Amino acid sequence: MTTNLVIAPVLVALVTAITCILVRFAPRVQRTCSLVGVVAYSATTFALLARVWPANTLAYQVGNWRAPYGITLVADPLSGFMLTMTAVVAPLTLVYSVRHLKAPGQRVSYHTLFHFLLVGSTGAFLTGDLFNLFVWFEVTLMASYGLVAFYSGRDGTLAATRYVVLNLVGSSLMLLAVGGLYGVTGTLNMADMARWLAAASPAEATPVLGLSLLLLAVFGLKAGLVPFQWWVPSAYAAAPAPAAAMLAGVAKKVGVYAVIRVGFVVFAAADPTFTLGGLAGDLLAAYGPVLFALAGASILVGGLAALDRPTFEETLAYSSIGQVGFIVLPLAVAAAVPDLRTVGVAAALVYALNHALAKPLLFLVGGLVEDAAGTTELDVLGGLAGRSPTLAGAFLVGGLSLVGIPPLAGFFGKLLVFRAAALGDATVALAVAVAGAVLTIAYVSRTWNRAFWGERTDVVASMGALDPVRLAVVVALAGCIVAVGVGFGPVYGFAEAAGHVATGPGRDAYVRAVLGGGVA
Amino acid sequence: MSDAEVVLALALGVLFTAGTFLVLRRDLVRVVFGVLVLSQATNVYLVTMGGIGGVAPILGHGGTITDPLVQALVLTAVVIGFATTALLLVLVYRTYQEHGSIDLDDIQGAVR
Repeated sequence: MTTNLVIAPVLVALVTAITCILVRFAPRVQRTCSLVGVVAYSATTFALLARVWPANTLAYQVGNWRAPYGITLVADPLSGFMLTMTAVVAPLTLVYSVRHLKAPGQRVSYHTLFHFLLVGSTGAFLTGDLFNLFVWFEVTLMASYGLVAFYSGRDGTLAATRYVVLNLVGSSLMLLAVGGLYGVTGTLNMADMARWLAAASPAEATPVLGLSLLLLAVFGLKAGLVPFQWWVPSAYAAAPAPAAAMLAGVAKKVGVYAVIRVGFVVFAAADPTFTLGGLAGDLLAAYGPVLFALAGASILVGGLAALDRPTFEETLAYSSIGQVGFIVLPLAVAAAVPDLRTVGVAAALVYALNHALAKPLLFLVGGLVEDAAGTTELDVLGGLAGRSPTLAGAFLVGGLSLVGIPPLAGFFGKLLVFRAAALGDATVALAVAVAGAVLTIAYVSRTWNRAFWGERTDVVASMGALDPVRLAVVVALAGCIVAVGVGFGPVYGFAEAAGHVATGPGRDAYVRAVLGGGVA
Repeated sequence: MSDAEVVLALALGVLFTAGTFLVLRRDLVRVVFGVLVLSQATNVYLVTMGGIGGVAPILGHGGTITDPLVQALVLTAVVIGFATTALLLVLVYRTYQEHGSIDLDDIQGAVR
């Protein structure tokens, strides 16, 4: 019964989500339930983390159905890393939301949607079954549709419609890929599929390549990589600031996580003598150029587009396209060079952690400015730094972390991305990363100069007082970024342990834990 | 390959073609129909992945049975598709209310 804890975070979030619907007629009770629920969620997640740390794999067989026949939930360092990220961002964002959103909006749907977003992404981080991953994706998406359409104005409904249509097509493609993989391998359990691939001959495994690339495209859509980025800017601009923070901080990372889990743990298990065209190596070798094209294009398109956006949120939305490119870039190197699997995945995870802390921080700063000044147009803002040094300081920490200044978390993220590219002799990747870094400096300093520096404009001079609670949340996120940077040793140790699952021995341990562990 | 499989393969091709064509229309309602056709085509495809040669998978009927797992998957996918389509229709209706049109060119022109 010791592995029951694996399912606890999902259950806590699910119970909270449903309770929030039931008590919607008592707003204060609902808010309390929601806050208690998110704290309980974080507590169970950290309890799970303590069991997984430093390198354990726990498998929970749902309903006591033996793997590979039932659905297995697996907590290993990789899931643990993603869950910890969520468990830090979610409570802070929720505290901010309670103060940010008007009472009617909170009463009707916000808390329920928020917790269902947690249910979906937590399920996706924990599941060991490919079809189940599809279901958790849908849960996450359903909640995010609601959050994007939350204000339901002119732009909001259109943004949400675009988001839903794109993701419905994406879901169909994912089902096609999952169904095809089941037809070829005869299993949906990820560990079992890895075992099948390891035993299959290259000829048997060939259909898997096309199907896995179809899956990769769907994950790219969820992560908002170019050329699937079209939904990102309008969706983030339409969603309330804390919801945008959750979408950028947590929901996008589900796509990145799926690339690592399915690509680097399952498909990498195929026979290493696999060849296709000029590419030789395991199945993942074919992923390398594809991932690199997606990542490189995202870094450049996101960075360039962020340079001249008229508002705060739009700059951040385009920036997040570029930043996800930075997360995927080391994965591309790792896919192409088998020796760098651990290094590349660890670099991607550290960068993902940096983005998961910095981007919500910036979105929340944007929300505070919009609330107090009534606008986030960079043209009419100016001199915010003099108006509220605390807010400006928090923005600076988040912005500089995106740029990669020591001792912030972003410094190590950038450093590891560059290191992975240099170790893999990937000159083009290195050049793209440098160009992306320069673009990041350019748009962060543009936003800083326009909004925070300079003469105080009328809008800023006449803006009301900033809510101390929300300000405290923003400062707490800034504190997290500094803390990760200063105490980077254990964070990197954990990321490396998570990256270990992408290697042969790590994969064997994963497969053994799921299939050989039996029922708990 | 049995006759039924050939017919299903052709039907799938037609469905995916029609779905893709509709999704690329300017009219939002046609886009919804396109998405619907695509997701139903996916469900048909899923059923064929389990093999369609055997008898119904009921214990004691004897003979070769078809794979019941894909049918369970399709059931799940149908339910999820139902919910998302309902939501999408609501959103399209709201878009019509907000913009007074379901022609995407008109709407985009109005936004910019």
